[in-house]
Amino acid sequence: MAKEKKIVKDKINWKKELKLAPGYIIILLWVAFTLMLLGWILAASLSTTMDIFAGKALKFPTGLHFENYAKAWGSGGVATFFMNSLLYSVISCTLLILICAPAAYVLARFTFIGNKIIQTGFVSAMGVPITMIVLPLFCLVANMGILNNVVASKATLIFLYIGINIPYTTIFLLTFFANLSRTYEEAAAIDGCPPVKTFWKIMFLMAQSGIVTVTIFNFINIWNEYFLSLIFANSDELRPVAVGLYGMLQSMQYTGNWAGMFAAVVIVFLPTFILYIFLSEKIIGGVTGGIKG
Amino acid sequence: MKKNKGMIIGFLAPAVLIFLAVFLYPIVRTVIMSFFKISSVTDSVDLWKFVGIENYQKLFATDIFRTSMMNIGKIWLLGGIIVMTVSLLFAVILTSGIRGKKIFRAIIYLPNIVSAVALATMWLQYVYSPKFGLLKNVLDKLGLHELAKTQWTAPDHVFWALLFAYCFGMIGYHMLIWMSGIERISPDFYEAATLDGANKINQFRYMTLPLLKGVFKTNITMWSVSTAGFFVWSQLFSSVTANKATIVPVQYMYSQIFGAGNAVTERNAGYGAAIGIILCICVVLIFTICNALVKDDDLEF
Repeated sequence: MAKEKKIVKDKINWKKELKLAPGYIIILLWVAFTLMLLGWILAASLSTTMDIFAGKALKFPTGLHFENYAKAWGSGGVATFFMNSLLYSVISCTLLILICAPAAYVLARFTFIGNKIIQTGFVSAMGVPITMIVLPLFCLVANMGILNNVVASKATLIFLYIGINIPYTTIFLLTFFANLSRTYEEAAAIDGCPPVKTFWKIMFLMAQSGIVTVTIFNFINIWNEYFLSLIFANSDELRPVAVGLYGMLQSMQYTGNWAGMFAAVVIVFLPTFILYIFLSEKIIGGVTGGIKG
Repeated sequence: MKKNKGMIIGFLAPAVLIFLAVFLYPIVRTVIMSFFKISSVTDSVDLWKFVGIENYQKLFATDIFRTSMMNIGKIWLLGGIIVMTVSLLFAVILTSGIRGKKIFRAIIYLPNIVSAVALATMWLQYVYSPKFGLLKNVLDKLGLHELAKTQWTAPDHVFWALLFAYCFGMIGYHMLIWMSGIERISPDFYEAATLDGANKINQFRYMTLPLLKGVFKTNITMWSVSTAGFFVWSQLFSSVTANKATIVPVQYMYSQIFGAGNAVTERNAGYGAAIGIILCICVVLIFTICNALVKDDDLEF
């Protein structure tokens, strides 16, 4: 599994590489461990429980068992959790952009009373532990008497996912808008384009790369969200993957279907993993882009 | 500017209104709740009974809560030392001009995008498995058969098992923050230092580290914020509802309010609110101390 990345590309300065050898060794060990971890889980998910316990998960003595996935997806109930997560993530991410991009633009471009206060509020909110807000929210939702209504409960969850991600999304886009040149707006204003139209037709499109980055992060966050979902999604019909997987793990330990359990784990992390394979550069760039060092 | 008034309000209103509903209102209510005895979290305000700071006093007199605070403190301090050291080491190695930097960086960051439940399951069911675990196999191969028999998730070892698994997932994120700091230091500095005869270690000690003060502050803040919300890992690593070795405040609060766990002695949502406040105060304290100790670098680079 360890990546032997010693392909000779251009001329290698051996003296320099030798000095770096300890560094290579440490990093390679770590990387090998990470790949081993993920690789083994993938192999185990295609194996059988008996082979796993015999320590032969990587050898596939009985061939590849794709039925683990079919079982986990169907009778295991992963399909419901997966579809829920997809619904929550896609709707929340879309609405987050529609709500936060205009707010971020206004905060970045106009001076008005309260601008600084709103920004400070948003930045501080990013450091507030979720335990500070969860009790009153639960009280509010429980007293609305909608916890038995599936559609209303799903809408509530989406509202909460949007709510907790508003500060981060707005601040991220704010720095992005602040870095865009004002000349476009000035030119549009001279041509008689009203500011609202200028925003949607010009600035919103110019901010696209920032919008894409922040949406990837929101998607990953909402896909993996656990605590709120645990409290507010109180039936299997409502549960997203993280909470659903936890429930499955509890029951899998009794049924003893380990291969199926690993298949469920793979299904749960696959969407964010695939996103990462294609967009890792953008994601890594965005991690530090949102933080002022 | 008057022309834009409508636009400003219209553009800001949705975000600000949701913010008020999801953050400001609940925060204020949680603060108030922490001074009341509330038998059920859904009780209306007229059923609340004012008890002053009694909730806090009782919490700190409760053994299991004190244990949970100790645990989270240990996770913050020991985990913090491990994560900060290893992530800084990786950041230094990756910026020292080695090949394949981008691939290594991407793989080290990878655990951060995986759901914590999935990641914790991989550790619990694979790495620490006493039957087919990675750790067992590696130790067996090294000839350490006695050590290989260790039950890593037994009460004696479970805290360390939890801590290492958690740290593994956090290193990539903090490494990226360090790297962004290191990469902003101008290479001219190093060139000048090399010309003046400073070796790599001295360059690191006297140039890189002092210049990374601001980044260090960011790292500590982020680490503290994520530690305050520590929950999933404890829930997955404890076989019973409240395992003394791994219980953390959020887990205690969860079992107080929503669970029928064995940690509950008396139902009082005021406790839950007080726990939220205590965690928040810890984060604010750490942030303030960091700000006082580490002045923003006035160095231009």
